[in-house]
Amino acid sequence: MRIRDRIIISQRNLLRSKLRTFLTISAVLIGTFTISLTNGVGNGIKSYVDRELGNVGAENTLIIQPRNDSDNPVSSDVQEYDPDRQLGMFNQTLLGPDDIREVQQIRGVDKVIPELNVQVEYLGVGEKKFQATVGQYIENFNIQLQSGSYLDLNRKDMIMIPMRYVDPLGLGSAEEAIGKNITLGYKDVNGRIVEKELIIAAVTAQSLLGSATSYISNGLLMDINNDQTRGVAGLSERYPALVVSHDPAYSDEEVESLKQIFSANGYNAQTIQDAIGTINTVINGILIVLNVFGIIALLAATFGIVNTLLMAVTERTSEIGLMKALGANRTTIFSIFAMEAASIGFWGALLGIGISMILAPIVNNIATNNFLQDFVGFKLLAFPFLPSLGIFLGIILLAFLAGTLPSIKASKQDPISALRYE
Amino acid sequence: MTVFCYHTVTYMQPIIETREITRVYEGAGENTQAIKSVNFSVMKGESLAIIGKSGSGKSTLMHMLATLDRPTSGEMLIDGQPTSKLSDKDLDIIRNRKFGFIFQQFFLNSRNTCLENVTMPLMITGTPSDERKKRGLEMLDAVGLLDKAKQPAGQLSGGQKQRLCIARALITQPEVIFADEPTGNLDTENGRIITDLLFQMHKEKNITLVIVTHDPDLAALCDRTITIKDGEIV
Repeated sequence: MRIRDRIIISQRNLLRSKLRTFLTISAVLIGTFTISLTNGVGNGIKSYVDRELGNVGAENTLIIQPRNDSDNPVSSDVQEYDPDRQLGMFNQTLLGPDDIREVQQIRGVDKVIPELNVQVEYLGVGEKKFQATVGQYIENFNIQLQSGSYLDLNRKDMIMIPMRYVDPLGLGSAEEAIGKNITLGYKDVNGRIVEKELIIAAVTAQSLLGSATSYISNGLLMDINNDQTRGVAGLSERYPALVVSHDPAYSDEEVESLKQIFSANGYNAQTIQDAIGTINTVINGILIVLNVFGIIALLAATFGIVNTLLMAVTERTSEIGLMKALGANRTTIFSIFAMEAASIGFWGALLGIGISMILAPIVNNIATNNFLQDFVGFKLLAFPFLPSLGIFLGIILLAFLAGTLPSIKASKQDPISALRYE
Repeated sequence: MTVFCYHTVTYMQPIIETREITRVYEGAGENTQAIKSVNFSVMKGESLAIIGKSGSGKSTLMHMLATLDRPTSGEMLIDGQPTSKLSDKDLDIIRNRKFGFIFQQFFLNSRNTCLENVTMPLMITGTPSDERKKRGLEMLDAVGLLDKAKQPAGQLSGGQKQRLCIARALITQPEVIFADEPTGNLDTENGRIITDLLFQMHKEKNITLVIVTHDPDLAALCDRTITIKDGEIV
């Protein structure tokens, strides 16, 4: 029998009991919809994270941290005291000037910038003052800007502030804020407030990462840090991490061997890509859990397909008998029923993915106008072609597999007993 | 002259032969022997009636002749070829190309149109749909149902249904037609129409006819009659 005729017969058979077919397809649809939506959210977040972090520190940045030798204060054993080891809060090992020197001497290392954490009190314009956090702006750090341009790394009087400060501080619009003066207040080591007059170089766009942080240059940060730690043992000139840049022309293998060298010297070196990988692992974990729900729904739908086809085989016993008597072979009978099962998968998957794709722009629209308002360029749902196609084909395959048992049953029917069956 | 000789020769040739065939149904505890060692031949071009009471084994015999069932023991030959050497697929092809079937219960797909029902064997063969339609309409015309081509088969009367079945059986231009109680579900008038149609095709196209019936009048129209009683030819 021709493939076309088999398809026509199987489609017709599906239309024979419309309600039953509709319900079975609906079950597949619900499962597909769940999986499609889950992956849509996953892809949306991932593409955003990739874009946010993708160019951070370009290709030539490594973050160096002390190797953590099981310093978990809850679960690890009591550690013997080591006078040479510098510890911060929660007994976290910190890096100092010795480390900077050591790292600087490693072959391939270009620049070493210590990562600094300083506590500031407020950002203010005139009488208006708001709580703030600051971080250091590192060259090539890809922060999305709402307006302005990246600050000059050599100047200690510039700042990039987040979009959310513009309105409360009465700076007008993002564009109008550029070039205006702003006061950064922090406490020095004696608890006295010190104020720095800074110029706004840029307004950063709201993002998932560091959306509340204002950025200043390393030089300014060093000054603040010195003011805050001068003379305090264990805090002055202690850093949780170092940001190291290497030759941008390095290949992946060379970066890998550089990481090995750091590792051999007792440091833990991470590229930005490693950091993205870590974030992606977390996102993937969440997505897998969500996908499980979709898979459970699909599994239930699979039993629905088996049941529907078993009923169809019983209903059409004499028809199968006639076809076999008239010379239809087993393969023909099998394929007609298997196609019927695959079609249920086809329509369920098509509708499930279709509906989720139709809903996506609406959901994205609502999201970006509400809780994602300040996240520039963040689409909650994204549907890359290949994963969607993968889901589509996977579900058709699943439906086909569900149909094999009833299809084999149909193909094995004895024409005589099938014809006697009325 | 040659034509006549050819006809004579083909008439004498067996198309189906049975050699000591038996058919045993395995039941719970005891086995039923439906057919006990039957030996006979169906000749090319003849019309053969198999008669017997219900339960005599005549339907079982016909099913084996038509390769719908395999004998428990013994050998069957189609065109001199032992069926035991043929695969299920070979038998499927033989049934599709060589044989035509007419059943007492019609076995039509009542939702499908008459044309679709008639062309079903051609669809199984894999004939392109244009040719199927052409030949289907020819066959419907031959049995006087051309005007019903687009109607669902379920709307036909009993006699029309059986005419449709005859058209379906003939569409592949088979060598043998197996008819299982073809008039069993019909009144006298319609029974006569079907009988006339069957024998007309038999004579015009030289088709071998194997009719299973318990109607002596129908059997009397055939060239030859074999009677089955308790699974044996008497």
